Formats: sequence, structure tokens, C-alpha cells
Amino acid sequence: MQGERLKKSVRDRYGRIAQTEGSCCGSTPGCYSGIDQARDVARKNGYSDEDLNALPDRVNLGLGCGNPVALASLREGETVLDLGSGPGFDCLLAARRVGARGHVIGVDMTPEMVFRAREHAEEAEITNVEFRLGEIEHLPVADSSVDVIISNCVINLAIDKGQVFREAFRVLKPGGRLLISDIVLLSPLPECVRGSVDAYTGCISGAMLKQDFVDAVKKAGFQHVEIRKEVPFSLEYVISDPSTSSPVTRRILTEDGIGGTEKSIASIHLFGRKETNS
Amino acid sequence: MRRQLLEILACPVCKGGLELKAEEEDEHEVLEGALFCGRCRHEYRITEGIPDLLPPLRRCQ
Repeated sequence: MQGERLKKSVRDRYGRIAQTEGSCCGSTPGCYSGIDQARDVARKNGYSDEDLNALPDRVNLGLGCGNPVALASLREGETVLDLGSGPGFDCLLAARRVGARGHVIGVDMTPEMVFRAREHAEEAEITNVEFRLGEIEHLPVADSSVDVIISNCVINLAIDKGQVFREAFRVLKPGGRLLISDIVLLSPLPECVRGSVDAYTGCISGAMLKQDFVDAVKKAGFQHVEIRKEVPFSLEYVISDPSTSSPVTRRILTEDGIGGTEKSIASIHLFGRKETNS
Repeated sequence: MRRQLLEILACPVCKGGLELKAEEEDEHEVLEGALFCGRCRHEYRITEGIPDLLPPLRRCQ
């Protein structure tokens, strides 16, 4: 089954990244191999030095497109759910924001990432955060139980995005907020990129067209849906990301696809609310 | 996982509540044990403090 095969590819790829602490390559030129580069990516994505200094460097793998806008809006005492929490970077920052009366729960389908995230929380001595192994299409979370859902460049990896948004809507309390960042397409990708599993696991070929993404969020029931920030997504990030460092992907993106591909990708920060009468 | 967060957990398949069976815990949390869904008759393991709530391959409803 195509969906299950892709899901396994995603889990395998990110499991390997978790085990190598993000230092993907050694000899492969151009990929993020060190803490400084991961910090550089995080800064470009809008994270402050205060955020970066608050956590051990190895929590930040330089993955994702950044979700600092969401983190900034969190209030003390809130319950936050992170879809695809990876090594726990955003969860730990969120946990600091919501304070001792708040809770943060991270869900990720990659065992290696979840275990690392837990280690990172212990290392940072943050106790109001927990991680669960689970799928974002089948959230192990009760109805109407969380105040805020965050997610950083993960939903593009889900096979059924509509189901992810429906699940997000189900678990939010009435009045709850969806604050996610993700990669979207501004125009369809060339066929050679669309068919690549590597491009899928590297967040490109699984991404939705921007309008389809917004429509899917609205269709799930969210209101006041708006894109609060949109920035062009540099292909340098994509081909430097450890998850897309295979020779095949690099060739597809740099030689065959660069003309159209770079202009086709953006990262967005999207807001949505579950109305209080939902 | 901490006991106080049990109430916001749910079975990933039927979304029903889960029953906690703690086998080992410290002063903060359950380290080893299981979460049981009575409706699906499925047990989700807790290992090193982390619940494995991936949906079973065969849907259990």
C-alpha cells in the first residue's frame, strides 16, 4: 500500500536522524553537520537567542520551518499539543511559556525521536512536558481537552492531511487555537519531484498547494483561518537538510527541478480557531 | 507518564478512555505498565515512561 510505504519511509528517515543527532553526513558537502548551522537555521526561522540559549544545543536538530509565532502566543496554564514533536525543541520552549500550571504533550510516530525528546526534557529539567508515541492522523488524545495545537513543518509528511486537521479539531477545547507552520506549494511541482520518496520525506513532494491547505483546515471545522506569515522557502534548506541529502534528491532538486521548484515552495504560519459553540 | 494526564489521553482508534495498569512508578510518573482500552480490548504498553499509542495494525473495533 502506497500510503503505508511512504509512512514507513518517513519513520525510517527521521529515526536515523534522531540516532545521529542531526549530524547527517560527515562527508556529504553542504548538509547541516553541526550545532552552529542548526542554530543558524533556527535563527533564520525566527527563534530568539534567548530561546536557543534556554535549551541544550543538541535539542535543536535544525529541522522544520520554525514556529516561534505560535510559541510567543502561549499563555500560562495552557495545555498544548505538538503534532510531530521530533526531538522536542518546540515542546520544551512551549513548556517554559505555559509554566508549572500548564502542560505540553508531544506526539510523534518515530520511537527514536520520542525517546530522545524525553532525554532532552530530563536534561533541561523541564517536568511539565510529556511525549507519546502516536500518529497525528490517529491522535491518542481525548475530545475537547487541549487549548492550543502547535506543529512545525510536519503535516506535509502526513498521508491524509484532512484527517490530521479533523483530529486537531476534535481534541481542541471550544475556543482553542490551531497555530501551525508548514511547507506549502505555490504552484504544482514538476513530475520528477512529485514522484520522489526522498522529496516526500524531505517535506517537499508531500506538501499541499497553499489554497488546498487553507481549505482543508476550514473544511475540518476551523474558523477565522488565516495565514499570518508567509516566507519563500529556500531550496538551500531543503537540499542541506539531512533528510533530503540523498544524491538522487539533490540531483532532482538542483539540476532538474531548480528552475521551477524554488519559486514553488513557501513556509507559512497558519492560525485557526475552534469556535466556542462548536 | 504522569497519572494526572490520564484524563486527556484516549485510545487512538475508538477515542474512548484508557485504564492505567501501572507496573513500576517513581514519585513523579508511571515508568512501566500499560493503558487498556476496554472497548477495543487492546493494551498499549508504557516503556521507560513513554506510552506507545500507535494504532494497532489491525483496527480493533
